[in-house]
Amino acid sequence: MTASSAPAGSPLPAPRFRISRHRRTAWLGSGLACLLSVIGLVLSWVNPQIHSPLRPGLDFTGGTQIQIERQCEPGACKAITGSAIQESLAQLSLPVEVGQKAPSLSSVGVQVLDQGRSLVLRLPDLDPDQTQAVVQTIGAMAGPLNPKGTSVDTIGPTLGSQLLKGSVLSLLVSFALIAAYITFRYDRIFAFLALFALAHDVLITCGLFAWLGLFLGVEVDSLFAVSLITVAGYSTTDTVVVFDRIREQKAVLAALPLVDQVDVAVDATLTRSLYTSLTTLLPLLGLIFFGGASLFWFAIALTTGIAVGSWSSIGVAPTLLPLLARR
Amino acid sequence: MARQQGWLALILALAIAAGALVLNYPPPLGLDLQGGSQLTLQVLPNGSIKSVQKEQLEAVKEVLDRRINGLGVSESTLQTVGDDQLVLQLPGEQDPSRAAKVLGTTALLEFRAQKPGTEQEMQGLLKLKRQAQAVLNQRQAQASANAAGEPQAPKATIAAADLSQALTGLGIQVPAGSSETDQLELLLATVNSKIVTLFEPAQLTGKDLVSAGRQQQQTGTGWDVTLAFNREGGEQFAKLTQGIAGTGRLLGIVLDNRPISEASVGPEFKAAGITGGSASITGNFSSEEARDLEVQLRGGSLPLPVKVIEQRTIGATLGSENVRRSLVAALSGLALVAVFMVVVYRLPGLVSVVALSLYALYNLALYSLVPVTLTLPGIAGFILSIGMAVDANVLIFERVKEELRSGNSLIRSIDTGFSLAFSSILDGHITGLISCVALFALGTGLVKGFAVTLALGLVLSLFTALTCTRTLLRLLMSYPALRRSTYFLPATQLPASSGSPA
Repeated sequence: MTASSAPAGSPLPAPRFRISRHRRTAWLGSGLACLLSVIGLVLSWVNPQIHSPLRPGLDFTGGTQIQIERQCEPGACKAITGSAIQESLAQLSLPVEVGQKAPSLSSVGVQVLDQGRSLVLRLPDLDPDQTQAVVQTIGAMAGPLNPKGTSVDTIGPTLGSQLLKGSVLSLLVSFALIAAYITFRYDRIFAFLALFALAHDVLITCGLFAWLGLFLGVEVDSLFAVSLITVAGYSTTDTVVVFDRIREQKAVLAALPLVDQVDVAVDATLTRSLYTSLTTLLPLLGLIFFGGASLFWFAIALTTGIAVGSWSSIGVAPTLLPLLARR
Repeated sequence: MARQQGWLALILALAIAAGALVLNYPPPLGLDLQGGSQLTLQVLPNGSIKSVQKEQLEAVKEVLDRRINGLGVSESTLQTVGDDQLVLQLPGEQDPSRAAKVLGTTALLEFRAQKPGTEQEMQGLLKLKRQAQAVLNQRQAQASANAAGEPQAPKATIAAADLSQALTGLGIQVPAGSSETDQLELLLATVNSKIVTLFEPAQLTGKDLVSAGRQQQQTGTGWDVTLAFNREGGEQFAKLTQGIAGTGRLLGIVLDNRPISEASVGPEFKAAGITGGSASITGNFSSEEARDLEVQLRGGSLPLPVKVIEQRTIGATLGSENVRRSLVAALSGLALVAVFMVVVYRLPGLVSVVALSLYALYNLALYSLVPVTLTLPGIAGFILSIGMAVDANVLIFERVKEELRSGNSLIRSIDTGFSLAFSSILDGHITGLISCVALFALGTGLVKGFAVTLALGLVLSLFTALTCTRTLLRLLMSYPALRRSTYFLPATQLPASSGSPA
């Protein structure tokens, strides 16, 4: 539509949107977001209650989580307080195998949800027998319970550290493999930038969850690690699409400086990048609104990561390319 | 054109086959969707074995399989995971504590003769054991009666002085502040382990059993566990009993290093020992204990000890709630995407919606075929792969639009669009698959489910985007009435020269 403004000798129209004109703003925005994320991670690390960059969930710390549903209508349930449950559990003597010590139930976390209809208990690592004893104690206090609405998760401490190790390892391995693939398909600068953008996206997603962990007590579990790896895959795809365009145009636009080549490529892929993020975010919205509690934070992590990922593929990775390529 | 028709026939045939497959064999649902229990058992190295080998894991699995069959749990599955773990799934089971107990114990049954010259010590220990046991039983009965609202006065008691004397006599350090019950249990455990040391090493073990059963005691309410030995076992048992017959030394029956029964052998067996190859353990078992022991002994002892390291139990209503929720999430997500595609891309958008529906159908069919057990993270992987599949279509259609804007004819634009978008699509899918491989290789149960559905989705989306969308679009383009650029792009964006049908 703007064929008249095309640079002489170029079959492509001049870009409607020039990312290079906004690059300082883009860098500032990303820099601030990264800084905030790092502050969140550090604050979480020095917080005596958390003592790690993100608040680790049951999957990584080990322990038992019991969710109990009472047989009553929401709102019409007999009132029960968390502290009453804590007290009676502290007095409970658990069945133990000969020669083993019963875990202490002195500091059990109790959450009363859904107007008193469901209870969520956080306990130390219990065996199935001990779990059953706890459920029976609650049943005596807050019964009748709906046995079909009970869920129990127990993760042994060794499995917890194993899960954590596996998650971190798979994250690093997938980063390394993606970098190797891009180096093979494109070149080292592209691979470095794709990895840089990916680290940027993962950092900001982690930063958000560090803040969420600090203020709302949101915990990260193995699903969070999954969402980070998925975000990494998406972020690279987004960046690669832009780089693919730059490479494709190289022959035609060889006369232009690299900054302008990047502008043309970003402009040409801009619609695609935005639409793709949007079409991925739509199903995720479905998950956020209807997916239920177990997938809610997973969907939030993915949404953040994908939104940030498409931002970095437009505003960060391509605008850094001219700087690096000059050297 | 013939080639197009061939593809179309293939797509239709696949769609029908997939539909039939999904209807007849719906993909299996994971425990988080149907309710039930899952136990992860870790096989622990023991004694001379420093790390668990594949054969040992298989041997453990064999024993556990036999025990599960003995328990009669329907539809349970036991799978080995990694080098040293087993995952047991019990669909519909709300209380896995019994299964955990029966599977988790080693069940090494040993018959041992008492060491000569220890008669005095043994008698003292047995007396102490009976006393402690009686008081503990009494307290337990009292506690359960109290819980039922019928307080009873304690009958059997042990004098505090006696207890502390017994404890110090055995050299037990009592932890400060422990209750009397705790002290009694500690006493009992110490006495039991002392008793075991008074027996010779095992001459006969549960390996030589051919079967085990149980029967109610003729006097009293307890149960006995009956044993039948094979030929060598029978001979060993006869030799063992002959050796101690009439000497006052006892025959110890030791299960997992815990004495469960001490029997004396009368002088009448001096000549040949107890022959006939059968025996019974009088351990005053409850009916359930006897049954569990029977199951364990029949299944054989575990070559290595195991430990329950993970338990996940999900109630059936929570499971169906999860199914409902993820269905709503998936459908609403798909619907939103469909509306978006049609609004933005018009005719090709409509085509991509058909292709996406086919994609969803093929995906489900693949889950039935492989089979992939659907779990909550698995469904999340599927929903996410929809986004990836749409991305391929977006890339293609954006390219087609570009070609149209620069004045190319419609058919040419479509062809160029597909071929130019191919390399980006391929790169995107391959990086996605790389992540999946990393997740699958290094992740655990839940993570693996996600990786599998996402990976299948990615492979399928390559097929549907490049084949289904293209074939359907080409088919539509064979109708001149549909061959209008304005079905692809608003007229205002078209170059003035080619606003008419191409």
